[in-house]
Amino acid sequence: MRRALFAITGLAASTTALVVLKGSPGATQVAQNLPTAQPVNPSGPGVDPSADPAAPAADPTGAAPKPSGTADAPTSPKPTKSSTTRPSGTKTTAKAPTAPKTTTKAPQSTTRRVTGPTVDTAEDYGYVQVQIVVSGNKIIDAVTLSLPSGGESDIHSGDVRNKYNGTGGEVVQKQSANLNTVSGATATSNAYKQSLRAAIEQAF
Amino acid sequence: MTHSHTHAAGRRTGTTSSRHGGRSAAPVPPQIPARRGPGGRRLLAALLLVGLLASVLPWWLGTPAGSLRTTAATVTAAGRITGLIAGYLLLVQVLMMSRLSVLERWIGGEQLARWHRDIGATLLVAVLSHLSLILVGYADLRNQSVLAEVGTLLGDYEDMLSAFVATGIMLVVGFSSVRAIRRALPYEVWHLLHRSSYLVLLLGYGHQFTHGAQLYKPGPVRTGWIALYLLVVAALLWGRVIAPLAFNLRYRLRVADVVAESPDTISIYLTGERLGRLEMLGGQYFRWRFLTPGCWWQSHPFSVSAAANGRWLRLTVKVVGRHTADLRDLEPGTRVWAHGPSGTFTAAHRVRERALLIAGGSGITPIRAMLEELPPGAALIYRARTPADVLLSRELDWLAQERDTSIWYVIGSRDDPGPRQLMSPDGLRQLVPDVARRDVYLCGPPGLVEQSVRALRRAGVPRRQIHLATFEL
Repeated sequence: MRRALFAITGLAASTTALVVLKGSPGATQVAQNLPTAQPVNPSGPGVDPSADPAAPAADPTGAAPKPSGTADAPTSPKPTKSSTTRPSGTKTTAKAPTAPKTTTKAPQSTTRRVTGPTVDTAEDYGYVQVQIVVSGNKIIDAVTLSLPSGGESDIHSGDVRNKYNGTGGEVVQKQSANLNTVSGATATSNAYKQSLRAAIEQAF
Repeated sequence: MTHSHTHAAGRRTGTTSSRHGGRSAAPVPPQIPARRGPGGRRLLAALLLVGLLASVLPWWLGTPAGSLRTTAATVTAAGRITGLIAGYLLLVQVLMMSRLSVLERWIGGEQLARWHRDIGATLLVAVLSHLSLILVGYADLRNQSVLAEVGTLLGDYEDMLSAFVATGIMLVVGFSSVRAIRRALPYEVWHLLHRSSYLVLLLGYGHQFTHGAQLYKPGPVRTGWIALYLLVVAALLWGRVIAPLAFNLRYRLRVADVVAESPDTISIYLTGERLGRLEMLGGQYFRWRFLTPGCWWQSHPFSVSAAANGRWLRLTVKVVGRHTADLRDLEPGTRVWAHGPSGTFTAAHRVRERALLIAGGSGITPIRAMLEELPPGAALIYRARTPADVLLSRELDWLAQERDTSIWYVIGSRDDPGPRQLMSPDGLRQLVPDVARRDVYLCGPPGLVEQSVRALRRAGVPRRQIHLATFEL
């Protein structure tokens, strides 16, 4: 029992330590280096992390620390945000093979992936980018390549993701961009719909 | 009762006793087993720690420094960390109870049970803090009360209902394992409750992947986490189904005879096929399942009370409950399903050349088996309340002669002056002057074990030389 108390104390102490270490800005270099490594992407610096050429390559290699960082990248805020703010509607077309799920260039035959533009949410929360998978003339899946993240945004983004995305999500059910707004996440919902609408227009 | 006999030191070494029945110990004394060091245990402990760090790593890498500015964000982050830790610890818990022979061999059943207990308590705390931190954090973010947040999570979040159910089950399992509560419950009830932990694994699975901030996205982290689950399930299947099946198909154990050792103690002799190839050490135990209409559904751990001899196995059992009472009526020929051997309470785990063994009551059974394999020169203190409680004395006397072992029978209640004096640090040192340089093996009722460990520590015996046999699980 003494060891259990020791373990529980350790759990509490290490959780606190981790949160405190992350909470103080500049305390750690590791996490800061990861996002800043992404703007090497020439097409849209920092805006569209999934377009980072490292992302598709990360999947097969499966090396531990870096891919896990890049896999999470869409949910992490972009340090270069203010300087690269782009108006909504910028078409970043045909990014088909970049999504983590795809098998590079195979799906050209029956299913297509269409990526919507990166849309800035109101109130400066972050960016939303939607990608839909189209089979024939039906949407069969929807994924978000980026969503606002950090602090409060995580939870709203999670709600939006849960409602809209996936093979059983609202996008697939409704087959249109007329989605119900997620309560408490109006800005994110609207940005989502905007990106989705553009993707649908482009696909059909 | 009022005048218990107190033979403080009835030493019997080398007494000639030719009457040791046709059935007592092995015809040829088995060889002394080679030592097994602590290397395997340390390696495994290190691996588990590395795994713990790796399970928190995705959070660390995925969270930008300085992003936890608000209280809500900080609380949510703490909830995520505890969630990842809880998810990992749950897998470790199940893995440790998978009965994998590697684990039993490297760590040993007794040690595993102790780890399982400590990690179990930690896991419960981790899960509860994960739940409450996330609830408080999310409620703050959505600007609603914690109760309303519970409603939101249950109503709008996929897989969250089952996660709440899993937490409830875990709470029940956790509290039923608190020592005081557990003692009040019949073993069977407790065991059934504990079995429902598998539901926790199943019900808790979904929400980690639909909502886990580090796991919902396809990628190496998610793949790795799923692989971990598959690994644990494979270990479970192997340790609990495939390996026992192979063991029992190979050895085909059956009851040969049931013999009364004392009014409330029986010995069950088992025979089978290919027993010569059975690798087993004296002091180890099996989990036994006797395939009769009343007993087949429960399995109980009992030590083997004689070292491996290639012809038969024997377990000696004190009749204390309903199950053990049923064992008295076993018919010869009854099939027996055994799972083992396990345990590190063996001569192979000694760290010194000589040993002191302390047995209390029916705790003599593993020690009796081990005596056959210990290097000569061991000493045995056998505590019993009355002379009638002394078991297997004829075999012990025979072993004392054969293996050059000193045996003291210490009879009397715990409060009698004789046993009290003897079980004190000074008494032990007087009896066994080199006690601090011996391995000490203890098996008996908890009170005796606790008291002896305290006395031994004060007599200068290092902790790593003290070996305990516990059958917690």
